[in-house]
Amino acid sequence: MDQLITLLVIQTSAAIISFAAGALVVAVVIYLMATSSKEEDKVSVKHKVYKLRGRYFFAIVLCAIILLFITLRLLPYPEFQNKADEVVTVVGMQWAWQMAPGVFNKNISKFSGNNEIDVPVNKNIKFVVTSMDVNHNFAIYNSQGHLITQTQAMPQYHNELQYTFSELGDYHILCLEYCGLAHAFMIGTIHVK
Amino acid sequence: MIQLEPGEIKKQRKLVIIWSVTFLVVFPVLITLGLLMRLRQGEDIKIGMDTFYALMTMHGLGMAGTLFSIAFAALWYLIATRHANLNLGVGYLVYFLNIIGGGGLFFATLIGRFGAGWYLLYPLPFKGANWPTWTTLITIISLIILGVAWLIGILHLIYRIAKEYGGFTNLLGWQYLGKKEVQKELPPIVLITTISLVPGVIAFLAGAVWMIIYLLKYFEPTLAFDPLLLKNLGFFFGHTLVNITLYCCVGWVYALLPEFTGRKWKTDKVLVYAWNATFFFILFAYFHHLYMDFVQPLPFQYAGQIASYLSAVPSTAITMFGVIVQLYHSKIKWGIIPLTFLIGIAGWAIGGFSAVVDSTIAVNTVLHNTLWVPAHFHTYMLTGVVLFILGFLFYMSHSKEEQERDKTGKLGFWLFVIGAHSFIAMFYMGGLKSIPRRYSDYSGIPISSTHSTGALLAQIAVVFIGLLLIGLTIMYFSILKKLFRRVANATGTVVSA
Repeated sequence: MDQLITLLVIQTSAAIISFAAGALVVAVVIYLMATSSKEEDKVSVKHKVYKLRGRYFFAIVLCAIILLFITLRLLPYPEFQNKADEVVTVVGMQWAWQMAPGVFNKNISKFSGNNEIDVPVNKNIKFVVTSMDVNHNFAIYNSQGHLITQTQAMPQYHNELQYTFSELGDYHILCLEYCGLAHAFMIGTIHVK
Repeated sequence: MIQLEPGEIKKQRKLVIIWSVTFLVVFPVLITLGLLMRLRQGEDIKIGMDTFYALMTMHGLGMAGTLFSIAFAALWYLIATRHANLNLGVGYLVYFLNIIGGGGLFFATLIGRFGAGWYLLYPLPFKGANWPTWTTLITIISLIILGVAWLIGILHLIYRIAKEYGGFTNLLGWQYLGKKEVQKELPPIVLITTISLVPGVIAFLAGAVWMIIYLLKYFEPTLAFDPLLLKNLGFFFGHTLVNITLYCCVGWVYALLPEFTGRKWKTDKVLVYAWNATFFFILFAYFHHLYMDFVQPLPFQYAGQIASYLSAVPSTAITMFGVIVQLYHSKIKWGIIPLTFLIGIAGWAIGGFSAVVDSTIAVNTVLHNTLWVPAHFHTYMLTGVVLFILGFLFYMSHSKEEQERDKTGKLGFWLFVIGAHSFIAMFYMGGLKSIPRRYSDYSGIPISSTHSTGALLAQIAVVFIGLLLIGLTIMYFSILKKLFRRVANATGTVVSA
């Protein structure tokens, strides 16, 4: 499945599950309040509720195991990545992004790049992301404003993020880790051609 | 249950009232800082970026610290008046150190404009900062003072209850797991206090190491430290602090709710298993803050998601079903105190579920550091922890009959609940729209829909903050009116003076 569609499905599922869980909690609260005027012996209540609790326990453990099994296969980490078609080095700094094609193995202070870069469509791009000063977060947004992927830009470390752009156009990079005064204005652009 | 002289109870009550009044003063000030931030993001007011981030830093540090502090104070009072003799001098020492530490943070942020965020992510406090360097030092020292205060308080409390209940393992309830008959019943509040506060000791020690490293860095700037290690230490400290604040509050729900339902809530084998499991989940769940650090060892990433998922099992299966047992067909009179506890438990559950959703690594890829994050923690802090605290304050100020009759308090309560949930809903919508968190304003974002949606949601949120503040003011009126007219009787509950 296209990476963007997968992410949108994940985001929508997260919203639906959270809303459904919230609605269930509200329903239980209303039910409890509405029925609390009745009186019943605690032993009998305990018996009923504990029976339900047993079922709930197995259901929630089963759900957790199934969800863990499904979601722990969808990890963005290097151990789960494929061979990249192209590599882009990304360096965050207060308060700009610098990007250049290829791997940069020298001292990071000597890196020179641009806050815009061209990458090809439908190619697996590996972003090697680091920082020259403090922590930043390399977050890619599409033109509709969807956050499509991200990784931290951390000094002394290189995080490898892979993404295949399936649509042509301009994608914007925002910083999603607070990095000081102009954090909200640390912008870059990826031109997918 | 210990028997205290009325005079001793009165002294402990005085301490907790002083602490509570301090909370009642500080809390709306911290809300106001948040209000100013949302006003700025909504482009309703103009404040400088440096001011915005100083407000943000104080709002985060202040709320986390203040809520833990009052949660601890309430636990202290309930333990001291019912289960173990606690030294009043130690209590006052913890309180005054809290005042000094908190005052230092106010000074560094609101006067000095220190703005590295609550989590002081290394090496931001030392690099490219636009605040005076002395503010960094004041912040570090203030945090050390707070950490020392909490460590002293916790260690004293754990020591005294361990002495009372025959040793540390008894506090964990392990005597319930064997075949021997339990000699001395362990109240759930004592078990939960232990399970909450012992991870707190470990976290505060980690926090101490974190802050000592910062002190070294401050005095010797050429020293370099590992940013990933410091990120782990910082989040372990911060996450655990917030997490145990919630559990401390849950502790007194176990103790106080039965007073209104007339149904005892006792420790049993299932409760012991559940809370002992929670002990481990508290320690390992923090890894979910580092999912976007791809260089973090993979087993830690797995541990973060597994611990976060499984933490939902004991909390919902045991505590929430326990609340159902307490309330179902209980013929309870819905006074303000049980109301705050029930709606607080609901807030905890709703926030907890959305936190578990975000603790899924695949989901975190699209929600990390968007407004979804403040959404879920505001849910369980503002509509969970704060309601429990307000419930405790009503408990301290109102008799059972008064809290049933208090229509003004209930009006304030519902305005607060509606305002708070609606305010938080704007955060959730922002998260689903990928709006970044910790932005002084959205005008720099080149995607017009993101900019306009972010600003609009902030504008709407401001209205609901107004509503929750009105509700809070009404509740304050109701609490303060009665708080000083009461003295304690021999069982620690209040009677008319």
